[in-house]
Amino acid sequence: MSPANGNYEEVEQRIRELARTALEEGRVDYFIGWTAGYNESEVIPGFVRSADRVDALVWNPLAAYNLTAFLKRKMPDPPQAKIGLAVKGCDSRTLVSLLQEELVDRERLYVVGVPCEGIVNRRAVSKVFANEVVKIEVEDDTISVTNQDGETKQLAREEYLLDHCRSCKYPNPRYFDDLAGEAVTEPEDQAPMWREIEEFEALPEAEKDRLMAEAFEKCIRCYACINACPVCYCWDNCVCRARQPKLVSQKVNAQENLMFQMVHMFHVAGRCPSCGNCDRACPVEIPLYLLHRKMNKELKEMLDFEPGIDLEQKPVFQTFDVNDPFGQH
Amino acid sequence: MAQATETATGTTASWDGEGRVKVVGILCNWCSYAGADGAGTARLRQPFDFRIVRVPCTGRIDPLHILKAFEKGADGVLVSGCHPGDCHYAEGNYYARRKLELLERMLPQLGFEPERFKYTWVSASEAQRWQQVVTEFIKGVEKLGPREGRAL
Repeated sequence: MSPANGNYEEVEQRIRELARTALEEGRVDYFIGWTAGYNESEVIPGFVRSADRVDALVWNPLAAYNLTAFLKRKMPDPPQAKIGLAVKGCDSRTLVSLLQEELVDRERLYVVGVPCEGIVNRRAVSKVFANEVVKIEVEDDTISVTNQDGETKQLAREEYLLDHCRSCKYPNPRYFDDLAGEAVTEPEDQAPMWREIEEFEALPEAEKDRLMAEAFEKCIRCYACINACPVCYCWDNCVCRARQPKLVSQKVNAQENLMFQMVHMFHVAGRCPSCGNCDRACPVEIPLYLLHRKMNKELKEMLDFEPGIDLEQKPVFQTFDVNDPFGQH
Repeated sequence: MAQATETATGTTASWDGEGRVKVVGILCNWCSYAGADGAGTARLRQPFDFRIVRVPCTGRIDPLHILKAFEKGADGVLVSGCHPGDCHYAEGNYYARRKLELLERMLPQLGFEPERFKYTWVSASEAQRWQQVVTEFIKGVEKLGPREGRAL
C-alpha cells in the first residue's frame, strides 16, 4: 500500500459536495457517510438528512466502518426511500455482492466511491496507552496518538494499518455512481494477503483446536458480528435464533459459539470479501478473520474466485461447473 | 467386538474395528444408500460403528449439518452421493461438491484432522466400492480415536 499522499481534505470536500447536490436535487432522501465521533480518535457512521448538514461528513484514515451494512436494514424501510452512501474499495465489494444477488435495488441507490489508501487499526493504536486515547492523527507515514493526559506517541503508519489494508488489491471502489477524488494507483502484482492465515494453518491440529476453543469461549453471543456484517442479511429470520432447524441453541459455550460463527461464515461464503466489519465490531476481539479470510483463500484456490469484483458474475454457490477441479471421483 | 467371519460371497472380512468411535454417514437416497444397502444384501462385512442418515440428494446437505454432527459428538462424518453427472436430479451433486469442498478445506482451520471428514461418490451398483470406502474411512477415524476437549 502506498503512503498517504495527504489529499484527504480534497476528497472530504468532494464527498460533501456530492452529498449536498444529491440531497438538494432530491436524488436521495438521506446520505450515509462518516462523521466525527465523540473525540478525535474515532470516526463513526452518520446519516445526513438535509443539505445544510453535509459539513458533518468527514473522510480520513479512521473511517473504518463499512456503511453498506446499513443497507440491509434500511433498504426496505421506509420502502420508497432513496439512499446515498459513501463506499471505500472493500465496502464497494460487499455492495457488489449484494447487487449480484439482487438484495438491494440499484435504482434507489446513489453511491459515492471513495478511493482509499488504507485505514488505521484504531483498536491496535488505542492500546499504546493504558488510558483513553483522545486523538489520532495521520500524517504521511506517521500516526500521532494523544491520550487524555496530553501525552503523544508517534507510530509508523504501515504497522498500524488494518491487516487487510496492508496488502489491499482493490483500493478503488468496484462500483459507484460518482468518484470522490482521483482513483489511487492499484498495486499491479499484490502479494496475496494470506500471511496470518498461513501462519495459523501451519500449527498442529490440537493447537488450532485449543486456540479456537479459547477464542470462542469469550464470545458473549451479542450478535454484533452479524449485525455489522453487510452481507449477512436474514436479520430477524436468522437460523441462529430459530428453533427449527435447531442448528444453534441458546447455550453460550465455546462449541455453540463456534457453531454460531460457522453459520455466519457459511452463509456469507462467496459474498464476504473480508471487509473486517465483524472483526471490528466484536467487543471481545475474537479473531474472526481466521475464518473469513481462510474461506476466501480457499475460494480463490478452489475456483479462482474473489467475492464482489464483477457485477455480472453469478454468485459462486448459486451455480456450478461440471469441470470444477475437485470432487471428480 | 467384531469377529471376522466368512461372508456369503466369499469376500474376506477385513473389519476388526473396536467400536469406540461414532461415525455419521450422510448418503443420498438414489446411489450411495442403495449401494450401502446392496453391500448389506450381499453380506459384505462393514463397520458397525456407523450411523446412516438418508437424504434425497447430496444437494440437500448443508455444510452446517455436518458441523452440527461434529458438535453433537460425531468423531467422523462421511458424505456420499451419486457420481458427478449421474445425479438423480441431474445437478444436485454439482452444487453439493462446491459446498462440501469448501467445508473440507475449512475443517482443519477449526482443529479437525483431515481424516475426520470425507465426501465421495458411490453408485447403487458399487457395493464393493462402498465396503472399501466406509472401511477405510472408519479405520482412519479409529486411528485418531474419539474427539476430546474439542473446539467444535
